[in-house]
Amino acid sequence: MSESASWNWDTGEKLVANINDWKKKFIDLRELTPSDDGEKIAAVVQPEKGKFTTCLTGDVWEEKFERVYSLKFKPDNQLISLTYRDYVYALAVDHEMWEETFDFIWNLTLTQDGKGIAVNIKRDPQLGAALNGQVWENLYIDARHLAVSPDGTKTASCIQIQPMKTLDIFTYQKGIWTVAVDGTPWEKKFWSIWGPVFSPDSNHVAACVRTGFAQYNIAVDGNTWEGPFGLVWEPIFKPNTNDVVAPIRTPKGTTLAMNGKPIWGYFFNAWRQIFSPDGQKLAAVVVPSFSRWTIAVDGTPWSTTFSDAVLSPVFSLNSKRVAAVVKDSKRWAVAVDGNPWTEKFDNVWDPIFSPDSNTVVAKAERNGKFYIVVDGKVSKKGYESLWNPVFSPDGKNLLLRCVDNGKYYRKVIPINEL
Amino acid sequence: MAEASVKESTKTEDWVKLNRKPVADPGFDETVKNLTTEKIEKAVNAVLNIGKNGARFMAPLETCIHCALCSNACHWYLSHDKDPTYAPVAKVKMTLWELIKRKGKVSPEFMKQVARIVFCECNLCRRCSMYCPFGLDIAFQLGMVRRMCFILGLVPQNILDQTHSLSATLTQLWITQGDWIDTMQWQEEEVRGEIKNVRIPIDKEGAEVMWCPLGTEPKVATYHIARTAKIMNVAGIDWTVAAQDGWDSANMGMFIRDMETMQRVVRGIYDNAMRLKIKRIVLTE
Repeated sequence: MSESASWNWDTGEKLVANINDWKKKFIDLRELTPSDDGEKIAAVVQPEKGKFTTCLTGDVWEEKFERVYSLKFKPDNQLISLTYRDYVYALAVDHEMWEETFDFIWNLTLTQDGKGIAVNIKRDPQLGAALNGQVWENLYIDARHLAVSPDGTKTASCIQIQPMKTLDIFTYQKGIWTVAVDGTPWEKKFWSIWGPVFSPDSNHVAACVRTGFAQYNIAVDGNTWEGPFGLVWEPIFKPNTNDVVAPIRTPKGTTLAMNGKPIWGYFFNAWRQIFSPDGQKLAAVVVPSFSRWTIAVDGTPWSTTFSDAVLSPVFSLNSKRVAAVVKDSKRWAVAVDGNPWTEKFDNVWDPIFSPDSNTVVAKAERNGKFYIVVDGKVSKKGYESLWNPVFSPDGKNLLLRCVDNGKYYRKVIPINEL
Repeated sequence: MAEASVKESTKTEDWVKLNRKPVADPGFDETVKNLTTEKIEKAVNAVLNIGKNGARFMAPLETCIHCALCSNACHWYLSHDKDPTYAPVAKVKMTLWELIKRKGKVSPEFMKQVARIVFCECNLCRRCSMYCPFGLDIAFQLGMVRRMCFILGLVPQNILDQTHSLSATLTQLWITQGDWIDTMQWQEEEVRGEIKNVRIPIDKEGAEVMWCPLGTEPKVATYHIARTAKIMNVAGIDWTVAAQDGWDSANMGMFIRDMETMQRVVRGIYDNAMRLKIKRIVLTE
């Protein structure tokens, strides 16, 4: 998310674009994408048969392509799109095309500040990655999952490093997958590898690896923990350290381990772990009893459990509170510190804490309309489309990016007036 | 435990060798060359010793009265002229029963025959349980023998390769992420020639339906994708396909009891569903 302090926080609403007009103007109008600050909205449009381009807050880019996809705004409101025409794919930032072209590009990934723009790339018959237009020197048989370092200077992707003939089950069992960082592969190879993640200092990469028929481990810079384990889930780094935390499955159950050593008790399952902003607390989704889901904080599960699902925990900025989307008996809600909201919905998006950590808001869907829910209370007005709200720096107002009667608005509303 | 009721000979080579037409499969023939009794013992006991499986293994063995009612449920038995060696109870007798009796101390050749029985002479259809007066879950038992074979790599080549692919790529047929997205875009263009403005929305958040094809569809049967797109569009269904791994609903791990890959495949689909906030998952089958 971009630095919101510089945004316009004057309360009121602004009609940014009349989407009804867009619908009349184009053969095809695809999904809308608003900028973080809500000032701009973009979509892939088809102005003439078989030709696509972008429409940015009403301005139609004169360049036309056979395909345009993966629209994404940078925090500075530049619009990134992936394009295809004349048999080549290229990345465009606003109206500037990367000089490098490809046989396919996907997995558009940005750093938090938007300075690092990365994609997986194909140059027949090989695959790899490119960062800010710079293509890896070495390309591979396959490249999947893309991670960009926090400082925006490195990329990592899971690669198939050796060829394998059709149905050659034995070459696979020798290990032909690894991670490449900026195109340089780890020395050690594995059966399978997924979930690469960079350390906070951008110097290390951890990932899940398979090392045998029912053997899994966590590899950090290619070196595995003392194992193997029955299964592992995606690792994370502890903030400001090189310590890695990941769920591991053992004969006793699943627990979280730090650098290979269990640090929690055992559950039927555990995953989606996350550290608090101050790095002192750790929360994860856990299954304390069969088919009952909840959140555990520092190993202690909430007393309330849910039948269907619990999504990733979200910490408050002061690191003291935890909220998560929960699903029980086919209805969605948010639970905060173990207490589910009374109101249930058809869908709920990740909860967002106010800057002072006292208030929780979330976007929710009910009967085809989208609402803002504040501490469990549903807003009076519902919208056709709504994107995640943003708190003003003082926490008093909310920025809504919404479509109402076919018109896209940027609204700043005092939180007590929703 | 069932040792009291399985007290026949436990000599390593004292077992019934089936007179079957050979099945040539590198997953059996090559893998068995690297097996030892010690490796087999370890794999078998890794499955047998799982506490939660103990009762589910032993209760059916203790309960079965060898009435053979299960035989007439089995299409293998019926289609082999009622050869009793194809009867479900016989398949349990020749595999799990022997493995428990010998505590996993069996020869590689024996294990190869076990693998042939559980992979090539039983479909785990569970019809035998419907005929069993006790409703014994024979398919569960033979499925867990498949698990023992899987841990040893003693699995038919084709299905093992597809499970390897699912493990490495979460797709059944080694499909790259780029090829998957490219194929969806290409199929949209193809269908657009027949139906105006047809779409195959990729990663559309909030769609009603997320369609998860089998890997064979983008790989070798793209016309299935075109047909699905036509049906979804003409029916007015708000649908999408996921751009990230976890779109392929083939789950070969389930068949060979590669539980870990099986779980990763299912999790991948649900992760996409929850990421995209869709309401229904529609699978090809």
